[in-house]
Amino acid sequence: MSSSVTTAVKVNTLEKIRQALKERPAQIAAAKQKGQKVIGWLNYFVPEEILLALDTIPVRIGTGGDEQLVDFGGRYISTKNCVFVRSVVGLLGEKKDAYTPLLDLLAADASCLQIFRLAEVVKYYFKYETAILGVPRSFTAPEGRAYFRQELRSFVEQLEKFTGRKLAEDKLNSAIELLAKIRVTLRYLYEYQAQDYANLTWREVFEIVHAGFYLDRAEYLKLLQELVVELETLPVDKNRIPGLQPRIFLTGSQLSPGDVKLINIIEDLGGQIVGDDLWTGLSSYLDIQITAPTVDAVADGYLARVPHAALPYLDIGTDSRIKKLKELLQKFRAQAVIDHTLRYCDPYTFKAGETKDILNNEGYPFLEIHTEYASSDVEAIRTRVEAFLELVRTRNDVAGGI
Amino acid sequence: MTNTEKKISGDVVAGVDVGSLAAKSVIIADGEIVGHGLIPSGFNSEETGKSVLQHALNSAGVPRAALKYIVATGYGRISADYANKTVTEISCHARGANFLYPSVRTIIDIGGQDCKAIRLDSSGNVVDFAMNDKCAAGTGRFLEVMSNVFKVKLEDLGDLALSADSIVPMSSTCTVFVESETISLIARGEKPANIQAGIHHAIANRISGLFSRVGIESDVFFSGGVAKNKGMRKAITEVLKVNIVEPTFDPQLTGALGAAAIAWKNAVREGLCQAA
Ligand SMILES: Nc1ncnc2c1ncn2[C@@H]1O[C@H](COP(=O)(O)OP(=O)(O)OP(=O)(O)O)[C@@H](O)[C@H]1O
Ligand code: SF4
Ligand SMILES: [Mg+2]
Repeated sequence: MSSSVTTAVKVNTLEKIRQALKERPAQIAAAKQKGQKVIGWLNYFVPEEILLALDTIPVRIGTGGDEQLVDFGGRYISTKNCVFVRSVVGLLGEKKDAYTPLLDLLAADASCLQIFRLAEVVKYYFKYETAILGVPRSFTAPEGRAYFRQELRSFVEQLEKFTGRKLAEDKLNSAIELLAKIRVTLRYLYEYQAQDYANLTWREVFEIVHAGFYLDRAEYLKLLQELVVELETLPVDKNRIPGLQPRIFLTGSQLSPGDVKLINIIEDLGGQIVGDDLWTGLSSYLDIQITAPTVDAVADGYLARVPHAALPYLDIGTDSRIKKLKELLQKFRAQAVIDHTLRYCDPYTFKAGETKDILNNEGYPFLEIHTEYASSDVEAIRTRVEAFLELVRTRNDVAGGI
Repeated sequence: MTNTEKKISGDVVAGVDVGSLAAKSVIIADGEIVGHGLIPSGFNSEETGKSVLQHALNSAGVPRAALKYIVATGYGRISADYANKTVTEISCHARGANFLYPSVRTIIDIGGQDCKAIRLDSSGNVVDFAMNDKCAAGTGRFLEVMSNVFKVKLEDLGDLALSADSIVPMSSTCTVFVESETISLIARGEKPANIQAGIHHAIANRISGLFSRVGIESDVFFSGGVAKNKGMRKAITEVLKVNIVEPTFDPQLTGALGAAAIAWKNAVREGLCQAA
């Protein structure tokens, strides 16, 4: 891992999490042998609460950064679909990674219609059993809420049939509590890494978030809590002298596990990433409140979150995504924003211009990076990021500027 | 500007800009430009950089050993062991333009392979920028291909465009498409000058797209080798509806000049040179 952002103090629990991740595929295979179903899920609205309460094993699907998977996927889905979707079609078609061969069903929500299309394609070509969760476009209207409740009820019915189990209130309740604790802890870790002298970097926290896509959720929570305790006992990391690196916030299309091109470039050039609102990062864990152990309450909780970028919100002035972004920039003391958009990811490319204007007005420099998984644009991206970091260094007098 | 007779005393620094097509170097002594060099970029950026630096030193009449600080920029900056520091061409073009014309707030840089839109403040610091995507469409390389197609010297291409009596609209700026479109236009009997005017306008239109995200503010400066093309200057003036500052120094050297200006600042900061 090439990175200029490192911590000197060894964090043991981080190693434990990495080890647990290595053992996870075998663990899932064993549970499968005993009859547990494995559900791969995609995007933003599939509630893991439901999957856990039905005693299935949730696996959050999707890796990035592999151009060969994109090529492979592109044979089945349009080459104008976003790179992530093509790569996931490739992943699900090739079944060469540790998790896809273990899947019994693929659950996908239709927040981004490209994901919906992905589900259709893998069902047709690779014969996956799928469950689709509809997501309302008018997510703030009462009709939208009613629709989503209904959609989630049908989704639950389908999964009940599939697993041969009934959704029990007590199980749903414990799943809600478990996931709520995971979210609180991850939010804490995000805040922790942004502090001066922290013993974890953003990149490590991002890695920890991704470990949670696969690990047994109860075991994951235990590890997270152990990590928090360990961090409290560690000496401060005097190697990370504050103020020497530009503080960068990442927004835009997801960076999935394995998609490290942009992260490597930013860190190699001396930028310090201090936060993100990526849906593969912090944003899935923000602002979710489930007030009762019922399907309707789960539906309401998910729908009231910061909306996924694929959901239309025409008035940018009152768009809660922007409001949230501004709040996070302050919380993490970011100095500038890098907006990552994957090729043909319309939802995130869509409002980049207005977002830039708004953040510029608030005093945040904003750099748009359009990229894909191929490495052919590395040099071009390096030049842009390097110039942007020079701009931030000069502007904020980071180590004297250029 | 040969300085063989003039005795240069005091502190000397250099900027070296190894671009995708041309390498440039500027020497500054006590805050003044005293020499420069311009050669084609070779395969080895390190050697190209050293060689263009030597050209510039020769033109200034300064020995290499007198240099207090070197800043390298451009594509070749990644292999520039001879330099004390490397800075991107975006920051360097801004500092270079600011060195000559402090009122400049917007720069259009068209080099061999990239076009850039740069916004800067009164100190020459970049406040925003945009760059074209990774192909040669609308760049110097593209104009070189066109000069081959028309069998006109690169230096005369702009004048040819200026002599047009009408502008033939082009449907693309893709190098490959324009080449074939041009050939069919010539076959149809369109005047070469009018086709050239069309090509220059198509490039200017493409450049104007870069400004949709960064905005444009006067004064506007046109840097890079393509800024020497008068037809391109006119097309940009017409399409962007802005006046472009008349250059008093070779605009292709702007990046190298900026690198030298940054070298000067760093040398002063590190106590290697006396502030002028
Ligand atoms: N006298 C001239 N008239 C017209 N065009 C010229 C002239 N001299 C140079 N050029 C153009 O300038 C281009 C090179 O410009 P420049 O030196 O700014 O590019 P570069 O820095 O090597 O490229 P980049 O910045 O893209 O890496 C050539 O492609 C050529 O088209
Ligand atoms: S939001 Fe963007 S990256 Fe995600 S699936 Fe949709 S198009 Fe692809
Ligand atoms: Mg250049």
